[in-house]
Amino acid sequence: MIGGEMLASAIRMTIPILLTALGAIHAERSGIVNIGLEGMMIVGSFWAAFGAYHYGPLAGLLFGIMAGGALALVHAAATVTFRVDHIVSGVALNIIAYGTTRFASLSIFDRATTSPHVQSLPAIDIPVLDRLPLIAPLASNVSPVVILTFALVFLTRWVLSETTFGLRLRAVGENPQAADTLGVNVFAMRYAGVIISGLFAGLAGAYLAVEHTGMYVEGMTQGKGFIALAAMIFGNWGPIGAMGASLLFGLSEALALRQVVEFIPYEFFKMLPYVLTIIVVGGIVQRSRPPAAVGTSYERGE
Amino acid sequence: MQRRRETMSYRRRLLELAAPLLALLFALLVGGIFLLAIGKDPLQVYLTMFRFNLSRLDSIGSILYKSTPLIFSGLAVAVGFRVGLFNIGVEGQYFIGALLASIVGFSLHGLPVWIHLPLVVLAGMLGGMLWAWLPIVLKLRRGAHEVITTIMMNHIAYALVLFFITSVFLDTEQEMVKGLGSPQVRMPKLLETARMPTMHGFLETLGIELPRHVYLNWFFPLGILLAVALFVMLWRAAYGYELRAVGGNPAAAETAGINTQRTMLSAFLLSGALAGLVGLSDLLGYFGYLDIDFPKGYGFTGIAVALLARNSMLGVILTAILFGFLRRGAEGVQAFEGVPMDTIVILEGVIILSIVVAVQIVNWYVRRQEKLMKRRQVTMERAGGD
Repeated sequence: MIGGEMLASAIRMTIPILLTALGAIHAERSGIVNIGLEGMMIVGSFWAAFGAYHYGPLAGLLFGIMAGGALALVHAAATVTFRVDHIVSGVALNIIAYGTTRFASLSIFDRATTSPHVQSLPAIDIPVLDRLPLIAPLASNVSPVVILTFALVFLTRWVLSETTFGLRLRAVGENPQAADTLGVNVFAMRYAGVIISGLFAGLAGAYLAVEHTGMYVEGMTQGKGFIALAAMIFGNWGPIGAMGASLLFGLSEALALRQVVEFIPYEFFKMLPYVLTIIVVGGIVQRSRPPAAVGTSYERGE
Repeated sequence: MQRRRETMSYRRRLLELAAPLLALLFALLVGGIFLLAIGKDPLQVYLTMFRFNLSRLDSIGSILYKSTPLIFSGLAVAVGFRVGLFNIGVEGQYFIGALLASIVGFSLHGLPVWIHLPLVVLAGMLGGMLWAWLPIVLKLRRGAHEVITTIMMNHIAYALVLFFITSVFLDTEQEMVKGLGSPQVRMPKLLETARMPTMHGFLETLGIELPRHVYLNWFFPLGILLAVALFVMLWRAAYGYELRAVGGNPAAAETAGINTQRTMLSAFLLSGALAGLVGLSDLLGYFGYLDIDFPKGYGFTGIAVALLARNSMLGVILTAILFGFLRRGAEGVQAFEGVPMDTIVILEGVIILSIVVAVQIVNWYVRRQEKLMKRRQVTMERAGGD
């Protein structure tokens, strides 16, 4: 029932969720809630298709990453510099992302909902693994972004737990006053956390357009930005946990698409990430522990 | 000294009014940049919008029709904010409200309209309350943040409504014009007794001939009445006082003997009930059935409506009509200037962001002025003491 093909499909579904969840971890660990990730994925997917259409797939990915980062910069300015409510800013950015993307799509491609077809990066066959019978479908014809994503999981883990940057990022998310007293630039760290989250979400959107579909389609992110938030919470704000949660949600999407389990309707698979998240934040199974200062603005005393 | 303080509070009030206006102006400016980018003259476009909106009777009616769901969603969000809760779940609440209203609307046969219609409306409110119930209980009992749970509830609602439309109540007995078209993916049509009448008849008695293609219905005056009722409750009733006290400072409210938990619970359920009304103007006044293309996004625009109104119940009426004005205007500039309607979506987003930034800037300015004044006061007192 669940063969190698199925798993390969599940991994393809996992990538955009996982990338965005890794980004979300950076923002939240620095103390900023980013529910604008969905919007950052949307601009990422459109501008990646635009870049790939004109300059090739690699440029496309870069365009997507930059678009996500640019929108994140607005979020950082609003929440860190102007100290407005994180949720309000995120809601506004999602609306702005949706509006500007349709606007740009109409003006550039003369269609509101799709871009022309674009080239993908050359797929990779992982040597040796692609000949093992069971793993073969997972290891052949793989997008380089898939490999990059899993590398980023461990890179994120290393950065957060081993580097000075990671330590400072977590410090401003847990106790900004203390971090400030110790000479950490709270504002710079939070800007960094938010912008990194936008770069990751932009790449996730770019992956969807350039690698997964080969074009931009309106609504292609399908709320994955929110599923990524769910994955981050479900994974208890850590990269490895987020990977596990994203794989679970990716598998559930793959199952839903293929209608493998016939007696469970498609819509119930779609609900799964959200239901699980409510269960987790409701503390029904385990206690979730967000960074202590998340969602609050920091103001320097005089 | 006293006089100076009075001018201060007067100026402060003026400044607070200035924030929404500044935000609107800024949004129009950003919209103008987008218009310039596609080679349109922003002034020309905005002028066309005003002319199209204000010179035709069908435009006026359409503005009010489009503002109707936004009044309810703005009120729902504003009530939440007043008690210190962020109801970002209006979106899901109105979907479930529309689902329940639709089921009651097509399944209860043989009732007179004066029983059936109120039942349908109540079902909508009940649906919204139901969807608000879990998040607030999880918040009060388990400390789960309502923003996260209501976002998740929104997506569950989308999927659940889709499931009910496609798998449970799919209308398989649709009459087709012979060999033409394909069946819609929708639930059965509501009975006539469940439909909200339009205001044409009433307006005719006033001598106003509203064109037939405008669907302005009685939910609009109902929304205004509700806003006024909420305003009175908030500022004249004991419950309204408690609600504001809990929203302002829950710890102080608790000390003052207010049951903050119960106030939060009831206020959030009230917010959910209001949210349950959001989709009904479209459902009972226009479509007459629930299908997979039922309008999304009113819940999020409601956040913009409430913020721009600074959570004032009466202000919500004005800002909802303003958003109705923008949306109707979008149709006009699309038809006459070839400007994508999505310009308005961009405007909505920019308005949300710029209003909160503008409020913040005004607050800083006021605080700095007060500090300066206090310092001056101190030096003056010292000078007097010498």
